[in-house]
Amino acid sequence: MTKEAKTKTEPRHHVLIVDADHDYLVAAGDAFHGLSENTWRIHTATGALAALAAVAAEKIKLAVLDDQPSGGEVAELIGQLRVKQPKLKIVVMAGTATDEKRAASLAAGADLFLEKPVSPEGLKAVFQNFCELLGWVVPPPNAETRRGVGLTDLIQMECLAGNSSLLEIFREHSLGRIYLEQGQIIHAVCGELAGEVAFQKLLGLAGGTFELRDFEPPPERTLNRTWEYLLGEAARHRELSGLRARAGGGLAGTGAVSTEPAGKALELLICAGTGEMLYQWQCPAVAARLGLLKTVARHAETLISELQLGKFDRLEIQLADSRAILQPRADRLIFARVAASAVMP
Amino acid sequence: MKHDFKNWFASLPAVPGVIACGVRQPNGKWGGFSDEKKFPAEKIGELLKQFAELHEPLAAADFSPRWTTWAFEYGHLRFVARPDQWLLMLLVSPETEAAHSLDQLSERFLAFSAK
Repeated sequence: MTKEAKTKTEPRHHVLIVDADHDYLVAAGDAFHGLSENTWRIHTATGALAALAAVAAEKIKLAVLDDQPSGGEVAELIGQLRVKQPKLKIVVMAGTATDEKRAASLAAGADLFLEKPVSPEGLKAVFQNFCELLGWVVPPPNAETRRGVGLTDLIQMECLAGNSSLLEIFREHSLGRIYLEQGQIIHAVCGELAGEVAFQKLLGLAGGTFELRDFEPPPERTLNRTWEYLLGEAARHRELSGLRARAGGGLAGTGAVSTEPAGKALELLICAGTGEMLYQWQCPAVAARLGLLKTVARHAETLISELQLGKFDRLEIQLADSRAILQPRADRLIFARVAASAVMP
Repeated sequence: MKHDFKNWFASLPAVPGVIACGVRQPNGKWGGFSDEKKFPAEKIGELLKQFAELHEPLAAADFSPRWTTWAFEYGHLRFVARPDQWLLMLLVSPETEAAHSLDQLSERFLAFSAK
């Protein structure tokens, strides 16, 4: 089965999805087709034989396999696909991810192992993982779709693609500009600010709009750090701002937990939902923190089913001299620790 | 002192926003109150036991909490562990007097003597 693009854009990337569940194939195919803005041509197969035939006949660059394909074992299928096309990127997806399944898939030669998403947000995160794995970038979104793409996402996509472009950020009037050259952030200006301060200010803005424009040489070059570092710092600033606001008693959504004032940040760890570390700052024990986040996530699941108290937001641990805040979300695992001033008398 | 604690504990359900409260003794015995319409009292013992099980991973991560708070959309669950292994659990509705008094109540519990 092949889904043809019905728009003016010619699909550039051939992707094969293998799953015995026909409904899943249709849903996943439609979703990835849409997320790629018609740049992916989706091929589907319900079993191993059809998958091998598709890889032999088409220029498949990415194969997404169910961990239990009909007609054989996933490890066997990975080996057969590799023989047909050694450079093929292979992702194994499971309804329920376990360490055993992950280890078996990666040992068999899969490039990535993921849990099947159950929400639109999860699907988008998986799509981004695929793009990162292959170095593919969704074309610059049009005005309609850009509403759903954040400034950070767009910068990341431009950098991953090695593009040169100019981002202009507005809030009624022009607020600032970010210059990207061959996938590197080389200059940022925001009012009278320039360089990293300007970049972080622009990334930290709430609201506003932005336009992606053709590259033009900047009047000066004020940034020489990698884009990964700059976006990581921006993420850290955002997380800390949010956590400080919560720690200060301004807990959005779920009401106040603590009455203590905001404290100085002591450490921060941000991981993808899969556990892959995305960013850490002054975190003395990444593995231990990650283990604790996963334990908390498991406990929260149990509590959710038993208590029916709605969505779990976070666990706060009040220590003698600081407070740890753990947020195990589907797409992000966040650990932060802030210094607490004196505890209440 | 024991009498003081009993009186204090018995007064907790009267704080506006308290859905349930429970206390677990070092020997595993527990007692508690709850608004039965919102939360069955028999679950208090299970929650206290579950929290006790979380102590090991917390200790493994070098954390000795004065208290922990699980923040859910419709309720905040506070556990306070005393060094003498008495454990308090409070389940409160967000944005209520009880939610804003959690730290104060926790400090009061910690201040009670074991005698």
